[in-house]
Amino acid sequence: MTEAGLAATQALEERYLMRTYKRAPVDFVRGEGSLLWDADGKEYLDFLTGISVCSLGHCHPAVLAAVREQAGQLMHVSNLFYTEPMARLAQRLADSSLGGRVFFANSGTEANECAIKIARKHAHRRGVSEPEIISFEGDFHGRSYGSLSATPGLAGNEALGPMLPGFRSVPRNDVAALREAVGERTAAVLIEPIQGEAGIHPTTDEAILAARQACDEAGALLILDEIQTGVGRTGSLWAYEQTPVRPDVITSAKALGGGMPIGACIAGPAAADVLEPGDHGSTFAGGPVATAAALAVIDVVDDPALLRGVRERGEELRRALAELEGVREVRGRGLMIGVGLEDGIEAATVGADLLERGLVVNVPNPETVRLLPPLVVDGSQIERAVGLIGESLLVFSAA
Amino acid sequence: MASAAERIGAIVEAAERAAESVIDDAEAQARQYLDESRAEADREAAERRSAQAELIASLLAEAEALREQAGQMVESLRRAEEELAGKPGSGDGSEARTETARASHLSAVADPEEERGGSLAGARLLATQMAVSGSSREEIALRLKTGFEIDDPAAILDAILGPED
Repeated sequence: MTEAGLAATQALEERYLMRTYKRAPVDFVRGEGSLLWDADGKEYLDFLTGISVCSLGHCHPAVLAAVREQAGQLMHVSNLFYTEPMARLAQRLADSSLGGRVFFANSGTEANECAIKIARKHAHRRGVSEPEIISFEGDFHGRSYGSLSATPGLAGNEALGPMLPGFRSVPRNDVAALREAVGERTAAVLIEPIQGEAGIHPTTDEAILAARQACDEAGALLILDEIQTGVGRTGSLWAYEQTPVRPDVITSAKALGGGMPIGACIAGPAAADVLEPGDHGSTFAGGPVATAAALAVIDVVDDPALLRGVRERGEELRRALAELEGVREVRGRGLMIGVGLEDGIEAATVGADLLERGLVVNVPNPETVRLLPPLVVDGSQIERAVGLIGESLLVFSAA
Repeated sequence: MASAAERIGAIVEAAERAAESVIDDAEAQARQYLDESRAEADREAAERRSAQAELIASLLAEAEALREQAGQMVESLRRAEEELAGKPGSGDGSEARTETARASHLSAVADPEEERGGSLAGARLLATQMAVSGSSREEIALRLKTGFEIDDPAAILDAILGPED
Protein backbone atom coordinates (compact mmCIF):
# COMPACT_ATOMS: atom_id res chain seq x y z
CA MET A 1 0.00 0.00 0.00
CA THR A 2 1.36 3.43 -0.89
CA GLU A 3 1.18 6.30 1.56
CA ALA A 4 0.31 9.10 -0.83
CA GLY A 5 -0.54 11.70 1.80
CA LEU A 6 -3.63 13.84 2.09
CA ALA A 7 -2.96 16.19 -0.85
CA ALA A 8 -2.33 13.36 -3.31
CA THR A 9 -5.42 11.45 -2.12
CA GLN A 10 -7.53 14.58 -2.42
CA ALA A 11 -6.30 15.05 -6.00
CA LEU A 12 -7.26 11.50 -6.92
CA GLU A 13 -10.66 11.90 -5.24
CA GLU A 14 -11.27 15.17 -7.06
CA ARG A 15 -10.45 13.62 -10.41
CA TYR A 16 -12.02 10.17 -10.15
CA LEU A 17 -14.79 10.02 -7.55
CA MET A 18 -18.33 11.25 -8.09
CA ARG A 19 -18.90 14.36 -6.06
CA THR A 20 -21.47 12.94 -3.67
CA TYR A 21 -19.62 13.69 -0.41
CA LYS A 22 -18.12 16.69 1.31
CA ARG A 23 -15.26 15.00 3.08
CA ALA A 24 -13.36 16.37 6.06
CA PRO A 25 -9.70 17.05 5.23
CA VAL A 26 -8.22 14.01 6.96
CA ASP A 27 -6.72 10.87 5.47
CA PHE A 28 -7.08 8.13 8.08
CA VAL A 29 -4.68 5.24 7.75
CA ARG A 30 -5.00 3.24 10.98
CA GLY A 31 -7.40 2.55 13.83
CA GLU A 32 -7.28 0.69 17.11
CA GLY A 33 -10.00 0.68 19.76
CA SER A 34 -11.29 4.23 20.24
CA LEU A 35 -8.35 5.78 18.40
CA LEU A 36 -7.54 6.71 14.80
CA TRP A 37 -4.34 7.96 13.18
CA ASP A 38 -4.00 10.02 10.02
CA ALA A 39 -1.32 9.80 7.34
CA ASP A 40 0.84 12.29 9.27
CA GLY A 41 0.71 10.16 12.42
CA LYS A 42 -1.65 12.48 14.31
CA GLU A 43 -3.86 10.67 16.84
CA TYR A 44 -7.63 11.21 17.06
CA LEU A 45 -10.22 10.07 19.58
CA ASP A 46 -13.06 8.64 17.51
CA PHE A 47 -16.52 9.57 18.82
CA LEU A 48 -18.23 8.77 15.52
CA THR A 49 -16.98 5.20 14.81
CA GLY A 50 -17.71 5.46 11.09
CA ILE A 51 -21.33 6.47 11.88
CA SER A 52 -21.78 3.75 14.49
CA VAL A 53 -20.29 1.00 12.33
CA CYS A 54 -17.14 0.24 14.33
CA SER A 55 -19.12 0.12 17.55
CA LEU A 56 -16.65 -2.21 19.22
CA GLY A 57 -13.83 0.14 18.34
CA HIS A 58 -11.48 -0.16 15.39
CA CYS A 59 -10.05 -3.57 14.53
CA HIS A 60 -11.62 -5.36 17.52
CA PRO A 61 -9.56 -8.54 18.04
CA ALA A 62 -12.59 -10.87 17.99
CA VAL A 63 -13.94 -9.39 14.75
CA LEU A 64 -10.51 -9.33 13.20
CA ALA A 65 -9.90 -13.00 14.08
CA ALA A 66 -13.30 -14.04 12.70
CA VAL A 67 -12.72 -12.16 9.42
CA ARG A 68 -9.19 -13.50 9.00
CA GLU A 69 -10.20 -17.08 9.72
CA GLN A 70 -13.24 -17.03 7.45
CA ALA A 71 -11.48 -15.17 4.62
CA GLY A 72 -8.83 -17.88 4.67
CA GLN A 73 -11.45 -20.62 4.32
CA LEU A 74 -14.24 -19.37 2.06
CA MET A 75 -15.22 -15.88 0.98
CA HIS A 76 -18.23 -16.27 -1.31
CA VAL A 77 -20.41 -18.85 -2.97
CA SER A 78 -23.73 -16.92 -3.39
CA ASN A 79 -27.13 -17.66 -1.94
CA LEU A 80 -27.59 -20.64 -4.22
CA PHE A 81 -25.86 -22.75 -1.55
CA TYR A 82 -25.82 -23.22 2.20
CA THR A 83 -23.15 -21.58 4.35
CA GLU A 84 -23.01 -22.15 8.09
CA PRO A 85 -22.08 -18.65 9.35
CA MET A 86 -25.18 -17.18 7.66
CA ALA A 87 -27.50 -19.76 9.18
CA ARG A 88 -25.95 -19.38 12.62
CA LEU A 89 -26.18 -15.59 12.47
CA ALA A 90 -29.84 -15.77 11.44
CA GLN A 91 -30.48 -17.97 14.47
CA ARG A 92 -28.69 -15.52 16.80
CA LEU A 93 -30.55 -12.50 15.41
CA ALA A 94 -33.99 -14.11 15.45
CA ASP A 95 -33.52 -15.66 18.90
CA SER A 96 -32.30 -12.37 20.35
CA SER A 97 -35.20 -10.33 18.99
CA LEU A 98 -38.54 -11.15 17.41
CA GLY A 99 -38.22 -14.86 16.69
CA GLY A 100 -39.35 -15.42 13.12
CA ARG A 101 -36.94 -15.21 10.21
CA VAL A 102 -34.10 -13.11 8.80
CA PHE A 103 -33.25 -11.81 5.33
CA PHE A 104 -29.66 -10.68 4.87
CA ALA A 105 -28.68 -7.61 2.86
CA ASN A 106 -25.47 -5.65 2.33
CA SER A 107 -26.51 -2.39 3.94
CA GLY A 108 -29.19 -0.61 5.93
CA THR A 109 -31.03 0.79 2.95
CA GLU A 110 -31.26 -2.71 1.48
CA ALA A 111 -32.54 -4.09 4.78
CA ASN A 112 -35.28 -1.46 4.62
CA GLU A 113 -36.06 -2.38 0.99
CA CYS A 114 -36.78 -5.88 2.24
CA ALA A 115 -39.01 -4.53 5.01
CA ILE A 116 -40.89 -2.37 2.51
CA LYS A 117 -41.48 -5.38 0.26
CA ILE A 118 -42.75 -7.40 3.21
CA ALA A 119 -45.13 -4.60 4.19
CA ARG A 120 -46.52 -4.18 0.69
CA LYS A 121 -47.02 -7.89 0.11
CA HIS A 122 -48.56 -8.30 3.56
CA ALA A 123 -51.02 -5.52 2.68
CA HIS A 124 -51.84 -7.01 -0.73
CA ARG A 125 -52.68 -10.28 1.03
CA ARG A 126 -55.36 -8.52 3.03
CA GLY A 127 -56.82 -6.98 -0.12
CA VAL A 128 -55.14 -3.58 -0.16
CA SER A 129 -54.44 -2.64 -3.77
CA GLU A 130 -52.51 0.59 -3.16
CA PRO A 131 -50.64 0.10 0.07
CA GLU A 132 -49.13 3.02 1.89
CA ILE A 133 -46.19 3.29 4.27
CA ILE A 134 -46.12 6.02 6.87
CA SER A 135 -43.03 7.56 8.45
CA PHE A 136 -42.21 10.48 10.70
CA GLU A 137 -40.73 13.67 9.33
CA GLY A 138 -37.03 13.56 10.16
CA ASP A 139 -36.79 9.81 9.68
CA PHE A 140 -33.88 8.54 7.61
CA HIS A 141 -34.30 5.10 6.07
CA GLY A 142 -31.75 5.10 3.24
CA ARG A 143 -30.92 6.21 -0.26
CA SER A 144 -32.15 3.46 -2.58
CA TYR A 145 -35.51 4.38 -4.09
CA GLY A 146 -37.84 2.56 -1.70
CA SER A 147 -35.98 3.72 1.40
CA LEU A 148 -35.49 7.17 -0.11
CA SER A 149 -39.22 7.47 -0.74
CA ALA A 150 -39.72 6.68 2.96
CA THR A 151 -37.24 9.40 3.95
CA PRO A 152 -39.26 12.62 3.96
CA GLY A 153 -36.28 14.97 4.16
CA LEU A 154 -34.75 13.60 0.96
CA ALA A 155 -37.80 12.41 -0.98
CA GLY A 156 -38.58 16.01 -1.89
CA ASN A 157 -35.52 16.26 -4.14
CA GLU A 158 -37.33 16.67 -7.44
CA ALA A 159 -34.13 16.27 -9.44
CA LEU A 160 -34.17 12.64 -8.38
CA GLY A 161 -37.92 12.19 -8.87
CA PRO A 162 -40.32 10.70 -9.21
CA MET A 163 -40.20 8.85 -5.92
CA LEU A 164 -42.11 5.60 -5.46
CA PRO A 165 -45.81 6.04 -4.81
CA GLY A 166 -47.35 4.90 -1.53
CA PHE A 167 -45.30 6.81 1.02
CA ARG A 168 -46.35 9.64 3.30
CA SER A 169 -45.11 11.27 6.45
CA VAL A 170 -46.49 13.00 9.52
CA PRO A 171 -44.73 15.36 11.94
CA ARG A 172 -42.38 13.66 14.39
CA ASN A 173 -44.09 12.40 17.53
CA ASP A 174 -47.45 13.88 16.45
CA VAL A 175 -49.79 11.21 17.80
CA ALA A 176 -53.00 12.74 16.45
CA ALA A 177 -51.54 13.11 12.95
CA LEU A 178 -50.29 9.56 13.05
CA ARG A 179 -53.68 8.18 14.09
CA GLU A 180 -55.31 10.28 11.38
CA ALA A 181 -52.89 8.98 8.75
CA VAL A 182 -53.13 5.27 9.54
CA GLY A 183 -56.08 3.64 7.83
CA GLU A 184 -57.20 0.72 5.74
CA ARG A 185 -54.57 1.41 3.07
CA THR A 186 -51.73 1.42 5.55
CA ALA A 187 -49.25 -1.35 4.95
CA ALA A 188 -46.84 -0.28 7.66
CA VAL A 189 -45.63 2.42 9.93
CA LEU A 190 -41.87 2.58 9.37
CA ILE A 191 -40.06 4.68 11.97
CA GLU A 192 -36.80 4.98 13.86
CA PRO A 193 -36.91 4.45 17.65
CA ILE A 194 -34.43 7.33 17.81
CA GLN A 195 -33.98 9.49 14.74
CA GLY A 196 -30.25 9.45 14.02
CA GLU A 197 -29.55 11.53 10.93
CA ALA A 198 -32.04 14.16 12.06
CA GLY A 199 -29.84 14.87 15.07
CA ILE A 200 -30.69 12.20 17.69
CA HIS A 201 -34.36 12.72 18.48
CA PRO A 202 -35.94 9.87 20.47
CA THR A 203 -39.43 8.89 19.38
CA THR A 204 -41.63 9.39 22.42
CA ASP A 205 -43.16 6.44 24.26
CA GLU A 206 -46.58 7.90 23.51
CA ALA A 207 -45.92 8.12 19.76
CA ILE A 208 -44.42 4.67 19.43
CA LEU A 209 -47.26 3.17 21.44
CA ALA A 210 -49.79 5.01 19.27
CA ALA A 211 -48.06 3.61 16.19
CA ARG A 212 -48.35 0.07 17.57
CA GLN A 213 -52.02 0.52 18.42
CA ALA A 214 -52.85 2.11 15.07
CA CYS A 215 -51.07 -0.68 13.20
CA ASP A 216 -52.93 -3.31 15.22
CA GLU A 217 -56.25 -1.68 14.44
CA ALA A 218 -55.48 -1.36 10.74
CA GLY A 219 -53.87 -4.79 10.32
CA ALA A 220 -50.64 -3.04 9.32
CA LEU A 221 -47.09 -3.86 10.34
CA LEU A 222 -44.98 -1.81 12.72
CA ILE A 223 -41.44 -1.69 11.35
CA LEU A 224 -38.67 -0.22 13.46
CA ASP A 225 -35.57 0.91 11.64
CA GLU A 226 -32.81 -0.11 14.08
CA ILE A 227 -30.00 0.48 11.64
CA GLN A 228 -28.35 3.06 13.88
CA THR A 229 -29.95 2.20 17.22
CA GLY A 230 -29.48 -1.57 17.14
CA VAL A 231 -26.65 -3.87 18.24
CA GLY A 232 -26.13 -2.30 21.65
CA ARG A 233 -25.90 1.37 20.73
CA THR A 234 -28.62 2.47 23.17
CA GLY A 235 -27.65 0.12 26.01
CA SER A 236 -29.82 -2.85 25.07
CA LEU A 237 -29.14 -5.19 22.18
CA TRP A 238 -32.13 -3.66 20.35
CA ALA A 239 -33.53 -0.21 21.07
CA TYR A 240 -37.12 -1.46 20.96
CA GLU A 241 -36.38 -3.31 24.20
CA GLN A 242 -36.47 0.10 25.87
CA THR A 243 -39.81 1.04 24.30
CA PRO A 244 -43.37 0.05 25.18
CA VAL A 245 -43.87 -1.96 21.99
CA ARG A 246 -42.83 -5.12 20.25
CA PRO A 247 -42.51 -4.41 16.52
CA ASP A 248 -43.40 -6.83 13.71
CA VAL A 249 -40.18 -6.19 11.81
CA ILE A 250 -36.82 -4.60 12.64
CA THR A 251 -33.99 -3.72 10.31
CA SER A 252 -30.32 -3.71 11.25
CA ALA A 253 -26.98 -2.82 9.65
CA LYS A 254 -24.12 -0.45 10.60
CA ALA A 255 -22.68 -1.96 13.82
CA LEU A 256 -23.84 -5.45 12.92
CA GLY A 257 -20.74 -6.23 10.85
CA GLY A 258 -18.21 -4.44 13.06
CA GLY A 259 -16.84 -2.77 9.91
CA MET A 260 -17.91 -5.37 7.35
CA PRO A 261 -20.89 -4.42 5.15
CA ILE A 262 -24.01 -6.29 6.18
CA GLY A 263 -27.69 -5.56 6.74
CA ALA A 264 -30.51 -7.68 8.10
CA CYS A 265 -34.28 -7.54 8.03
CA ILE A 266 -35.69 -9.51 10.99
CA ALA A 267 -39.38 -10.34 10.81
CA GLY A 268 -41.42 -11.67 13.73
CA PRO A 269 -43.89 -14.53 13.31
CA ALA A 270 -46.60 -12.30 11.79
CA ALA A 271 -44.38 -11.32 8.87
CA ALA A 272 -41.73 -14.02 8.71
CA ASP A 273 -43.34 -16.04 5.91
CA VAL A 274 -44.60 -13.21 3.71
CA LEU A 275 -41.70 -13.31 1.24
CA GLU A 276 -41.42 -16.43 -0.88
CA PRO A 277 -38.88 -17.73 -3.41
CA GLY A 278 -38.44 -15.18 -6.17
CA ASP A 279 -39.73 -12.23 -4.16
CA HIS A 280 -36.33 -10.95 -3.09
CA GLY A 281 -32.64 -11.77 -3.27
CA SER A 282 -29.05 -10.59 -3.33
CA THR A 283 -25.82 -11.94 -4.77
CA PHE A 284 -23.49 -10.85 -2.01
CA ALA A 285 -25.78 -10.73 1.01
CA GLY A 286 -25.18 -13.07 3.92
CA GLY A 287 -21.71 -13.98 2.64
CA PRO A 288 -19.48 -16.05 4.93
CA VAL A 289 -17.00 -13.30 5.83
CA ALA A 290 -19.58 -10.63 6.69
CA THR A 291 -21.73 -13.07 8.67
CA ALA A 292 -18.71 -14.50 10.51
CA ALA A 293 -17.78 -10.94 11.49
CA ALA A 294 -21.35 -10.24 12.61
CA LEU A 295 -21.41 -13.41 14.72
CA ALA A 296 -18.26 -12.19 16.47
CA VAL A 297 -19.86 -8.78 17.01
CA ILE A 298 -23.04 -10.25 18.50
CA ASP A 299 -20.96 -12.55 20.72
CA VAL A 300 -19.23 -9.51 22.21
CA VAL A 301 -22.19 -7.13 22.36
CA ASP A 302 -24.85 -9.50 23.67
CA ASP A 303 -23.31 -9.33 27.12
CA PRO A 304 -25.23 -7.79 30.05
CA ALA A 305 -22.05 -6.29 31.51
CA LEU A 306 -21.12 -4.55 28.25
CA LEU A 307 -24.67 -3.25 27.74
CA ARG A 308 -24.82 -2.01 31.33
CA GLY A 309 -21.52 -0.23 30.66
CA VAL A 310 -23.07 1.45 27.59
CA ARG A 311 -25.94 2.76 29.70
CA GLU A 312 -23.65 3.92 32.50
CA ARG A 313 -21.06 5.56 30.21
CA GLY A 314 -23.90 7.19 28.25
CA GLU A 315 -25.39 8.64 31.42
CA GLU A 316 -21.97 9.87 32.51
CA LEU A 317 -21.34 11.49 29.12
CA ARG A 318 -24.77 13.14 28.90
CA ARG A 319 -24.47 14.55 32.43
CA ALA A 320 -21.03 16.01 31.74
CA LEU A 321 -22.06 17.48 28.38
CA ALA A 322 -25.15 19.12 29.85
CA GLU A 323 -22.94 21.16 32.18
CA LEU A 324 -20.84 22.67 29.39
CA GLU A 325 -21.20 26.27 28.40
CA GLY A 326 -22.89 26.61 25.01
CA VAL A 327 -24.93 23.41 25.32
CA ARG A 328 -28.70 23.93 25.10
CA GLU A 329 -29.77 20.31 25.51
CA VAL A 330 -28.45 16.76 25.35
CA ARG A 331 -30.62 14.12 23.70
CA GLY A 332 -30.39 10.39 23.22
CA ARG A 333 -30.07 7.08 24.97
CA GLY A 334 -27.04 4.94 25.80
CA LEU A 335 -24.11 6.05 23.67
CA MET A 336 -26.23 7.62 20.92
CA ILE A 337 -26.07 11.29 21.81
CA GLY A 338 -27.08 14.56 20.18
CA VAL A 339 -25.70 17.75 21.67
CA GLY A 340 -28.00 20.69 20.87
CA LEU A 341 -25.99 23.92 20.84
CA GLU A 342 -27.16 27.33 21.92
CA ASP A 343 -28.29 29.83 19.29
CA GLY A 344 -25.42 31.53 17.55
CA ILE A 345 -23.03 28.59 17.76
CA GLU A 346 -22.59 26.85 14.43
CA ALA A 347 -22.28 23.11 14.92
CA ALA A 348 -20.28 22.75 11.67
CA THR A 349 -17.64 25.17 12.96
CA VAL A 350 -17.46 23.31 16.27
CA GLY A 351 -17.19 19.97 14.46
CA ALA A 352 -14.31 21.21 12.30
CA ASP A 353 -12.56 22.69 15.33
CA LEU A 354 -12.93 19.42 17.25
CA LEU A 355 -11.36 17.52 14.36
CA GLU A 356 -8.41 19.93 14.54
CA ARG A 357 -8.20 19.23 18.26
CA GLY A 358 -8.19 15.48 17.63
CA LEU A 359 -11.80 14.50 18.33
CA VAL A 360 -13.90 12.97 15.55
CA VAL A 361 -17.62 13.85 15.76
CA ASN A 362 -20.41 14.45 13.27
CA VAL A 363 -22.72 17.37 12.57
CA PRO A 364 -26.08 16.15 11.25
CA ASN A 365 -27.71 19.60 11.28
CA PRO A 366 -26.63 23.22 11.88
CA GLU A 367 -27.30 23.15 15.62
CA THR A 368 -26.36 19.60 16.65
CA VAL A 369 -23.15 17.71 17.30
CA ARG A 370 -23.70 13.96 17.12
CA LEU A 371 -21.65 11.58 19.25
CA LEU A 372 -21.50 7.84 18.56
CA PRO A 373 -18.46 6.69 20.55
CA PRO A 374 -17.37 3.05 20.70
CA LEU A 375 -19.41 0.91 23.08
CA VAL A 376 -16.11 0.04 24.77
CA VAL A 377 -15.13 3.66 25.41
CA ASP A 378 -13.61 4.15 28.87
CA GLY A 379 -14.03 6.84 31.52
CA SER A 380 -10.76 8.61 30.73
CA GLN A 381 -11.64 8.84 27.03
CA ILE A 382 -15.04 10.31 27.92
CA GLU A 383 -13.31 12.83 30.16
CA ARG A 384 -10.90 13.73 27.35
CA ALA A 385 -13.73 14.15 24.81
CA VAL A 386 -15.81 16.29 27.16
CA GLY A 387 -12.74 18.41 27.87
CA LEU A 388 -12.12 18.99 24.15
CA ILE A 389 -15.78 19.79 23.46
CA GLY A 390 -15.82 22.17 26.43
CA GLU A 391 -12.69 23.98 25.21
CA SER A 392 -14.12 24.32 21.71
CA LEU A 393 -17.50 25.55 22.90
CA LEU A 394 -15.81 28.12 25.14
CA VAL A 395 -14.13 29.60 22.06
CA PHE A 396 -17.30 29.73 20.00
CA SER A 397 -19.62 30.75 22.85
CA ALA A 398 -17.43 33.77 23.44
CA ALA A 399 -17.20 34.62 19.72
CA MET B 1 35.81 -73.90 66.69
CA ALA B 2 33.69 -72.81 63.78
CA SER B 3 35.26 -72.80 60.41
CA ALA B 4 35.49 -69.63 58.34
CA ALA B 5 32.75 -70.98 56.13
CA GLU B 6 30.42 -71.45 59.08
CA ARG B 7 31.14 -67.91 60.30
CA ILE B 8 30.40 -66.48 56.92
CA GLY B 9 27.18 -68.49 56.79
CA ALA B 10 26.15 -67.11 60.20
CA ILE B 11 26.91 -63.57 59.06
CA VAL B 12 24.91 -64.02 55.88
CA GLU B 13 22.03 -65.48 57.86
CA ALA B 14 22.09 -62.57 60.30
CA ALA B 15 22.23 -60.12 57.40
CA GLU B 16 19.28 -61.83 55.74
CA ARG B 17 17.30 -61.67 59.00
CA ALA B 18 18.17 -57.98 59.33
CA ALA B 19 17.13 -57.35 55.74
CA GLU B 20 13.84 -59.17 56.24
CA SER B 21 13.24 -57.08 59.33
CA VAL B 22 13.94 -53.89 57.36
CA ILE B 23 11.58 -55.05 54.61
CA ASP B 24 8.91 -55.91 57.17
CA ASP B 25 9.29 -52.45 58.72
CA ALA B 26 9.16 -50.78 55.32
CA GLU B 27 6.07 -52.76 54.37
CA ALA B 28 4.42 -51.86 57.64
CA GLN B 29 5.26 -48.18 57.13
CA ALA B 30 4.02 -48.32 53.54
CA ARG B 31 0.75 -49.92 54.66
CA GLN B 32 0.36 -47.30 57.36
CA TYR B 33 1.10 -44.54 54.84
CA LEU B 34 -1.39 -45.99 52.37
CA ASP B 35 -4.04 -46.30 55.06
CA GLU B 36 -3.48 -42.70 56.11
CA SER B 37 -3.51 -41.51 52.49
CA ARG B 38 -6.73 -43.40 51.81
CA ALA B 39 -8.30 -41.91 54.90
CA GLU B 40 -7.16 -38.42 53.86
CA ALA B 41 -8.44 -38.92 50.29
CA ASP B 42 -11.77 -40.17 51.65
CA ARG B 43 -12.01 -37.14 53.91
CA GLU B 44 -11.23 -34.76 51.01
CA ALA B 45 -13.67 -36.56 48.69
CA ALA B 46 -16.38 -36.31 51.34
CA GLU B 47 -15.66 -32.60 51.75
CA ARG B 48 -15.77 -32.09 47.96
CA ARG B 49 -19.03 -34.05 47.71
CA SER B 50 -20.47 -31.94 50.48
CA ALA B 51 -19.32 -28.69 48.79
CA GLN B 52 -20.67 -29.86 45.44
CA ALA B 53 -23.97 -30.80 47.01
CA GLU B 54 -24.18 -27.33 48.55
CA LEU B 55 -23.30 -25.69 45.22
CA ILE B 56 -25.84 -27.78 43.33
CA ALA B 57 -28.51 -26.95 45.90
CA SER B 58 -27.68 -23.26 45.62
CA LEU B 59 -27.69 -23.36 41.79
CA LEU B 60 -30.98 -25.24 41.82
CA ALA B 61 -32.48 -22.60 44.08
CA GLU B 62 -31.20 -19.85 41.76
CA ALA B 63 -32.52 -21.68 38.69
CA GLU B 64 -35.88 -22.13 40.38
CA ALA B 65 -36.01 -18.42 41.20
CA LEU B 66 -35.07 -17.56 37.60
CA ARG B 67 -37.73 -19.93 36.28
CA GLU B 68 -40.30 -18.26 38.51
CA GLN B 69 -39.14 -14.81 37.39
CA ALA B 70 -39.19 -15.85 33.73
CA GLY B 71 -42.71 -17.23 34.23
CA GLN B 72 -43.81 -13.89 35.67
CA MET B 73 -42.18 -12.06 32.76
CA VAL B 74 -43.83 -14.30 30.17
CA GLU B 75 -47.18 -13.86 31.87
CA SER B 76 -46.69 -10.11 32.02
CA LEU B 77 -45.67 -10.00 28.34
CA ARG B 78 -48.74 -12.03 27.36
CA ARG B 79 -51.01 -9.73 29.35
CA ALA B 80 -49.40 -6.65 27.83
CA GLU B 81 -49.67 -8.03 24.29
CA GLU B 82 -53.29 -8.98 24.79
CA GLU B 83 -54.16 -5.62 26.24
CA LEU B 84 -52.30 -3.85 23.43
CA ALA B 85 -54.21 -5.91 20.87
CA GLY B 86 -57.40 -5.00 22.74
CA LYS B 87 -58.73 -8.53 22.98
CA PRO B 88 -57.90 -10.55 26.07
CA GLY B 89 -57.11 -14.22 25.69
CA SER B 90 -56.59 -14.23 21.93
CA GLY B 91 -53.84 -15.98 20.01
CA ASP B 92 -51.95 -14.33 17.15
CA GLY B 93 -54.96 -12.18 16.22
CA SER B 94 -53.78 -10.76 12.92
CA GLU B 95 -57.01 -11.79 11.15
CA ALA B 96 -59.14 -10.34 13.90
CA ARG B 97 -57.16 -7.11 13.72
CA THR B 98 -57.72 -6.93 9.98
CA GLU B 99 -61.44 -7.54 10.39
CA THR B 100 -61.60 -4.79 12.99
CA ALA B 101 -59.90 -2.45 10.58
CA ARG B 102 -62.25 -3.32 7.72
CA ALA B 103 -65.37 -3.12 9.83
CA SER B 104 -64.78 0.31 11.20
CA HIS B 105 -63.22 3.51 9.99
CA LEU B 106 -60.46 4.45 12.35
CA SER B 107 -61.15 7.44 14.48
CA ALA B 108 -58.53 10.13 14.59
CA VAL B 109 -58.82 10.45 18.34
CA ALA B 110 -58.65 7.27 20.39
CA ASP B 111 -61.09 6.48 23.18
CA PRO B 112 -59.51 7.95 26.36
CA GLU B 113 -60.35 4.84 28.44
CA GLU B 114 -58.85 2.60 25.79
CA GLU B 115 -55.86 4.90 25.59
CA ARG B 116 -55.27 4.64 29.35
CA GLY B 117 -55.50 0.84 29.19
CA GLY B 118 -53.15 0.71 26.24
CA SER B 119 -50.76 3.03 27.98
CA LEU B 120 -50.67 0.85 31.09
CA ALA B 121 -50.13 -2.24 28.99
CA GLY B 122 -47.39 -0.38 27.14
CA ALA B 123 -45.74 0.56 30.43
CA ARG B 124 -45.85 -3.07 31.51
CA LEU B 125 -44.38 -4.24 28.20
CA LEU B 126 -41.67 -1.59 28.42
CA ALA B 127 -40.77 -2.71 31.94
CA THR B 128 -40.77 -6.36 30.96
CA GLN B 129 -38.61 -5.84 27.89
CA MET B 130 -36.17 -3.71 29.85
CA ALA B 131 -35.98 -6.35 32.59
CA VAL B 132 -35.37 -9.11 30.06
CA SER B 133 -32.67 -7.05 28.37
CA GLY B 134 -30.84 -6.56 31.66
CA SER B 135 -31.90 -3.12 32.91
CA SER B 136 -31.89 -2.60 36.66
CA ARG B 137 -34.98 -1.91 38.78
CA GLU B 138 -33.87 1.72 39.13
CA GLU B 139 -33.41 2.18 35.37
CA ILE B 140 -36.85 0.74 34.65
CA ALA B 141 -38.46 2.83 37.38
CA LEU B 142 -36.91 5.97 35.91
CA ARG B 143 -38.24 5.21 32.40
CA LEU B 144 -41.71 4.48 33.76
CA LYS B 145 -41.67 7.81 35.59
CA THR B 146 -40.39 9.86 32.67
CA GLY B 147 -42.12 8.07 29.81
CA PHE B 148 -45.46 7.26 31.41
CA GLU B 149 -45.65 9.68 34.34
CA ILE B 150 -46.08 6.75 36.73
CA ASP B 151 -44.99 8.21 40.07
CA ASP B 152 -45.00 4.92 41.94
CA PRO B 153 -43.99 2.10 39.58
CA ALA B 154 -43.50 -0.38 42.46
CA ALA B 155 -46.56 -2.45 41.58
CA ILE B 156 -45.44 -2.94 37.96
CA LEU B 157 -41.87 -3.65 39.03
CA ASP B 158 -42.94 -6.10 41.73
CA ALA B 159 -45.11 -7.97 39.24
CA ILE B 160 -42.21 -8.38 36.85
CA LEU B 161 -39.13 -8.59 39.03
CA GLY B 162 -40.69 -9.85 42.25
CA PRO B 163 -40.90 -7.81 45.44
CA GLU B 164 -37.88 -5.79 46.43
CA ASP B 165 -35.83 -7.35 49.27
